[in-house]
Amino acid sequence: MGALASKRRRSVNIAAVVFLAPAIFFLGTFIIYPIINSFQLSFHDWNGITAHRDFIGIRNWLELFSDRVFWFAFRNNLIVVFFSLLFQVPFALALATFLDAGGKKFTIFKIVWFLPLLMSTVAVGFLFRFGLDANFGIVTFFSRLFGGGAVDLLGDQSRVLLTVIGVICWRFIPFYMILYLAGYSNLPEETYEAAIIDGATRSQYFWRVALPLLWPTIRNGAVLSIVGSLSFFDLIFVMTGGGPGIASELMATYMYRNAFQIMRVGYGATVASAMFILITIIALIVFRLLNRKEKP
Amino acid sequence: MARQKKLLIWIPILALAIIWLVIAGSPFLFMVLATFKTQFELLTGGVFAWPESLYLTNYTSVIGGRFFSYLINSIIVVAVSLTSLLAVASFAAYPLSRFNFKLRNHTHALIVACMAIPIHITLIPIFIMMMNVGLYDSIWALVGPYIAFNLPISVFLLTAFMASIPKELEEAAEIDGSSKYKIFFTIMLPLSKGGIATIAIFNAINMWNEFVFAFVLTRSVTNRTLPLAIWEFQSQFTNHTPMIMTVLTLSTMPMLLAFIFFQKKLIKGMMVGAVKG
Amino acid sequence: MKKLQKVITLVLAFVLVFALVACAGTTTETPVAESPEVEVEETEEADAPEEVATGETTELTLWHIQTHELRAAVIEDAVNRFMEANPQYTVEIVPIQNDVYKETITIAMAANALPDVFVSWSGGPMIEYINAGHLYDMTDFVAASDLPDRLLEAGMAQGTYNGSVYGIPGESVAISAVFYNREIFDDLGLSVPTTVGEMEDVAETLIENDIIPFALANGPRWTGSMYFMNLATRYAGLSPFQNAVSGTGSFEDGSFVFAGERIADWVERDFFAPGFNGADEDTGQSRQLLYADQAAMHIIGNWFISQVLSENPDFHEKLGVFSFPAYENSDANSDIVIGTVGDNFYHIASTSVSPQGSFELITFITDETAMAGRIDAGAIPPIQGVTVEDPILQAVLSIIEEASEVQLWYDQYLPPEVAQAHLNTLQEIFGLTMTPQEANAEVQAAMESYRDR
Repeated sequence: MGALASKRRRSVNIAAVVFLAPAIFFLGTFIIYPIINSFQLSFHDWNGITAHRDFIGIRNWLELFSDRVFWFAFRNNLIVVFFSLLFQVPFALALATFLDAGGKKFTIFKIVWFLPLLMSTVAVGFLFRFGLDANFGIVTFFSRLFGGGAVDLLGDQSRVLLTVIGVICWRFIPFYMILYLAGYSNLPEETYEAAIIDGATRSQYFWRVALPLLWPTIRNGAVLSIVGSLSFFDLIFVMTGGGPGIASELMATYMYRNAFQIMRVGYGATVASAMFILITIIALIVFRLLNRKEKP
Repeated sequence: MARQKKLLIWIPILALAIIWLVIAGSPFLFMVLATFKTQFELLTGGVFAWPESLYLTNYTSVIGGRFFSYLINSIIVVAVSLTSLLAVASFAAYPLSRFNFKLRNHTHALIVACMAIPIHITLIPIFIMMMNVGLYDSIWALVGPYIAFNLPISVFLLTAFMASIPKELEEAAEIDGSSKYKIFFTIMLPLSKGGIATIAIFNAINMWNEFVFAFVLTRSVTNRTLPLAIWEFQSQFTNHTPMIMTVLTLSTMPMLLAFIFFQKKLIKGMMVGAVKG
Repeated sequence: MKKLQKVITLVLAFVLVFALVACAGTTTETPVAESPEVEVEETEEADAPEEVATGETTELTLWHIQTHELRAAVIEDAVNRFMEANPQYTVEIVPIQNDVYKETITIAMAANALPDVFVSWSGGPMIEYINAGHLYDMTDFVAASDLPDRLLEAGMAQGTYNGSVYGIPGESVAISAVFYNREIFDDLGLSVPTTVGEMEDVAETLIENDIIPFALANGPRWTGSMYFMNLATRYAGLSPFQNAVSGTGSFEDGSFVFAGERIADWVERDFFAPGFNGADEDTGQSRQLLYADQAAMHIIGNWFISQVLSENPDFHEKLGVFSFPAYENSDANSDIVIGTVGDNFYHIASTSVSPQGSFELITFITDETAMAGRIDAGAIPPIQGVTVEDPILQAVLSIIEEASEVQLWYDQYLPPEVAQAHLNTLQEIFGLTMTPQEANAEVQAAMESYRDR
């Protein structure tokens, strides 16, 4: 009996390796190797263009611990996480529920609602910068309509971060909508029919039956949202460059600036490595926490 | 009575849905409208005004240029990368979702961790790697990074999808003597269509719009992909915005069509018949 | 046994797929659309000394940032003429978008894979490249050529470091000046200000008439720097800045305090449009205000003229320009201008396969035909004895010709990390979230930490 079980285990292990090998290859080559490289670099002072790199031990890391810009950027990232979770997840769920309930006749909604994700970052950046322009934009337009003055959103340091978060939410809600829609499509039709036969209303079906079944998908969406918010780069860079000042600086834009704009690649690598550590820890904690909730 | 109540609930819901329709769709609309304007019109008439006429010069200039070269490069890169990615991701998701082996949780954690890397820091090592392998300035240099950087999310999501497939089917097949490989191809893959379609959509869009590796790993203009096409219309102090918008609109079209076609896969009832099967 | 076979098959399949992908190798694609540029594809080995392709032609690579049509055509044409006169060379032209150019060059340098000829904006970064040994010393080539006789002396000086020539001024002369809407000035009976105080009075009058004085879009940060640099220079000339950089002075000097305080004052007096600190310059959020007659003045470089010509030719009729006025309480030289004599400087990589050929190429890129093309495209080329037809451009040219000194923009002149400190803190000054003293202290600290490294 023992011999058969261990032979079985061995074949499972071999199968696991075979199935995972290609993925491990790609991850190892293009992600893990550069991460290690990045850690190595973080112990050096390098401007990116000289042949030599000066080993400086942990000096970059010490500088990072007391770098007010980095921790301010981290705080900004956390704000992005908070509002993204608050708005993207529930709203996307509502949209997905709507589409699921409506079926084929709501296809036009599905398509138009998906457009924000399709557009390139450059287009989104441009359109929203002009759309939110303090003199010619939409918000100012409505403000003046009601007797107010010009509304400055992107140039005001106290408002810029939230404004960009708004744009981010706009852009990524379709992502989660599709995710939850896929989750819905995984629910067997019979479950719904059985519930209806049992006399449940649509609302009861949603809260008592669908939601619990969708929970794993929702949880995964939350993890993705958190990781995405912590490593976010594109839109912020295009719309504000981290400014005005550092009001909308994120860890990723700060890293980019150090590595490529001010020729401090070693320090940029330090920021990247720190990001990696922080994000991984947070993501794993969240994942385990949410996982535990599933198993009573 | 019930009918009226139903209407009472649905009307405000529909109203909200339509409001979101406008919010989600209007930037796209304005992008398209901008393609029919001249630069002068855009800056003096306002970005959100209706075009004065059906000004088609932007389209003729863009299409008459190198547009098709960029388009074909993009199609090749995305087609190859996407199919490879879907294959690699489904292969990897299977053991992570169904097997019980020692390092399973660690591997899963590793994959989650790989989502946490800011990709710009990988540019220099990957660039050097591509130079050493002789792939620099070639669209094939993009395939590896495109697969690799979309793998973590894809595996993460697919694992979750596969985990929700009922175990009974697998167990039945195992009792019948099928190997893990056979189970994968005959049971897991067909039932994961929803998940695969989902990650196909996300990844296709990401790869299609990917910009950073595209400009770092290619050099000659003939090897560039679509996201770099807008460079011809912007430089240090000039931005020909309507032409840029034209390129972006044309670039969005293939993806939009693909989505319209593939979104049918994301409908209810994918699992119908599976359990009975 | 059967399982093992399956395992091997799967693994082999993947190795095969990837090998196929990898071995597709470098594509030698013929251009799909008809394009005027001539290209021969070949990957360069980083260490190969003299690379000889088919028929004994040497291939050179050129990276430039003039991605926009007209100026790109000037370069393509120059390259064609070079290849005609020197058939032993072929050139691959790679236009790269300005925003990502710095990143591209950094990566190329990191991998020791620079093209033969490439550009920079001179200043701090150029010095970094020189110190890292990436730039070829062209002094001898230059001495044997006619470049010093044709190109502006100030431009050649800008490309020189420690007595050796490393960069050739190639594209345009660009200086900052105050452009204004003559129509609005005439309507309100305003005359061109000759002192900073007068300019402030003009601004007050404009505000009384619901017109925004300055159409500044400070999202990109370097636009606001124009105000700072000019104010500081009018206060005490160029020595405070040059001393601060060399270490004998400091960025906390009075002229920088003056500049910062004046700017903060102007912000509080509403001299700038709402939202200016987040508005974008390149896509024209500043010009929008001018075209709509909502703003009257714009302190920017003279490339603004070609922007107006291509975006809104009618507005060109209303344009006027004057040099940044003198500061009434100072006797500093008020004809010093802030700008660049050359804009893009052409360098030869020290790893170039043929420095001689590369230099020849540069002489063609900067020859008379090419420079004439740049005039047609609305720029002032960095050549001696240039004449332009556009009256506004002519006015700018006069300002340049009467300038006693030209100071390169701070954010290009300074070492990159100090430049960033300057731009970031200045944006905070404009946003009234930092005092000039705090900002100057940060810039000074960045300068010192750069020197210490």
